[in-house]
Amino acid sequence: MATLQDYTSSRDAFSFWPRHNEAIAARLESKDAWLEQRRGHAPADLSDDVLEHQMTLNIGPQHPATHGVLRCLVKLNGERIDKALLDIGYLHRGIEKLAESKTYQEFMPYTDRMDYLAPYANNVAWCMAVEKLVAIEVPERAQWIRMIMCELARLSSHMLWLGVGLMDAGAVSVFLWTFQGREDLYSIFDEVSGARFTVSHSRIGGLVTDLSPRAIEMIKDFSSRYQGIIQGWRKLLNRNRIWIERNRNVGIVSRAEALDLGLTGPNLRGSGVPYDIRAFEPYLKYDEVDFVIPLRDEGDCLARYHVRMEEMLESLKIIEQCLVRLPDGPIRSGDAKAAYPSKSEVYYSMEGMIHDFMYTETGVVPPQGATAYHAIESPKGELGFYLESDGTGCPWRARINAPSFTNLQGLESMMEGHPVADIVVLIGSIDPVMGEADK
Amino acid sequence: MALKFHFTPADTPRGDETNPHAKATTEVADTVQALREAFGPAVQDHLTYAGEHTVYIAAEQIVAVCRYLKEDLGYSYLVDLGGVDRFVEDGRFEVYYNLVNVAGRQRIRLKVRVEEDAATVPSVTGIFKAADWNERECFDMLGITFAGHPDLRRMYMPEDFAYYPQRKEFPLLGIPGSLPLPPQTPEGSLTMDPYAAAHGQKPVKSYEEPRSSK
Repeated sequence: MATLQDYTSSRDAFSFWPRHNEAIAARLESKDAWLEQRRGHAPADLSDDVLEHQMTLNIGPQHPATHGVLRCLVKLNGERIDKALLDIGYLHRGIEKLAESKTYQEFMPYTDRMDYLAPYANNVAWCMAVEKLVAIEVPERAQWIRMIMCELARLSSHMLWLGVGLMDAGAVSVFLWTFQGREDLYSIFDEVSGARFTVSHSRIGGLVTDLSPRAIEMIKDFSSRYQGIIQGWRKLLNRNRIWIERNRNVGIVSRAEALDLGLTGPNLRGSGVPYDIRAFEPYLKYDEVDFVIPLRDEGDCLARYHVRMEEMLESLKIIEQCLVRLPDGPIRSGDAKAAYPSKSEVYYSMEGMIHDFMYTETGVVPPQGATAYHAIESPKGELGFYLESDGTGCPWRARINAPSFTNLQGLESMMEGHPVADIVVLIGSIDPVMGEADK
Repeated sequence: MALKFHFTPADTPRGDETNPHAKATTEVADTVQALREAFGPAVQDHLTYAGEHTVYIAAEQIVAVCRYLKEDLGYSYLVDLGGVDRFVEDGRFEVYYNLVNVAGRQRIRLKVRVEEDAATVPSVTGIFKAADWNERECFDMLGITFAGHPDLRRMYMPEDFAYYPQRKEFPLLGIPGSLPLPPQTPEGSLTMDPYAAAHGQKPVKSYEEPRSSK
């Protein structure tokens, strides 16, 4: 344990957590690079040529291209990365620990702050995990609305990935266009839930409010307009020589390696593994709509780009089908032990008020020893919650399987062997969100 | 007439066999049977809830079981690995493995239970590279060590941190002084407790620091 003496004797601002940095340096030295294992050649011995070629570069945690507080340590040979190490945890808030002292419903706003580019998908993932643990059935209409909103969240996340990824590669105009799209999406989220960013609209057992007619109009308008707009972006980029040269053959991960490294989401499907939770274990109504899971075999950044672009178009297709099939009916379970009562029940009936109080105080109570894992296909990949109950209203253990965390682990290996300039492209194409990776 | 007092009847556990969210992929009774046949007593227990199968494996056999699942039964994708603090005398910690067979559309959960004073599980990084960071995270949060892990550093917390925050006895507000943060002014001293007010002390405000003499 570091003592007070350790810290007060070294007053240099950069010597914080001295053991931490020592451990990273030792690991960077001892690491057996993926490149060596894969291609069977060791990096050249450059010990007599120190000034010319060798350098250890510390990128981040505060760096625009890292999409958050990601710290990369790279050992360079000239411009090529021999070894790479990622240091995460700069946004660690311990939300798994916090979940243990909250009721199931109370924890939901924390999920907004995990993958903050697609908060709706996180809300739904959490609610569905709890619903599985307690065996709550959700009304049809709520399921279709959740699907619409999850796909809008996917579009929002992929639009940010596209704009920021291109800005990293040097094209600023697409960033402005995709943010226009995100602005439209924010307006929809605002109309639906009353919040633009951290929506918290889903509830255990259903939703908090129904879609207003205006919201449905806005979603219809969005899905009809953006079909053409996204095709326009593809037209620009699919034949853009700079974009293709920056992405093709960069960060190649084969099918077997992708599975071994545990990549998930579009990164896994870009390597040719047909694993999408929407088809693998369908949740909500995904087994009733018609959509294609984009798949590429190349496994490079360009393949991941194509997968995400095609996914955006598929999302629009899913939204249109959902809007057609959206049934009438309740949006929340009628069981007072499964979901909140409606506001009118709370205001005008004694039972409604008691139920509201009880639900806030205790909430859903899964049986003792119940365990459940439920995953959804979030924009970044498989987002799963593993819950264990001790028979009280708070989870005994809430484990988050965050897609960005597993994807970043793969990134560490993918960087090796590439020039420094490819780091930004690689980080962009993996699309991590540190709020989720750091929990 | 005195009013009768009614207790709210206890909620009976809802049946898990009718779980509306149970998935076809977690129906892996044949895999459990194959594990029982191949490993016999190393398969200690088998639970089902919400249509999911949890198989308890003896800690020393976990690597062999994972290799068997990967090479013979096609479970080549490690989705998740995490630890649980049960906070009981016997078998305090659990590590669980969430494995997926992509082609066969199956998902299984393995669990390993270890004692508090011998909280060591053999590492499965040799079989699934994906286990690397997850095992580090489990070590960081719960203090379970993984024998044979190539790089068992902390995942989120700095190496200088001396506690395991996900353990149940770790206080929710943290331990004052366990993780100093940079001073709030160039001349100031280290911030030993970022949550001083919550711990009943007066927090140092940056604007209350003495002005720099320069």
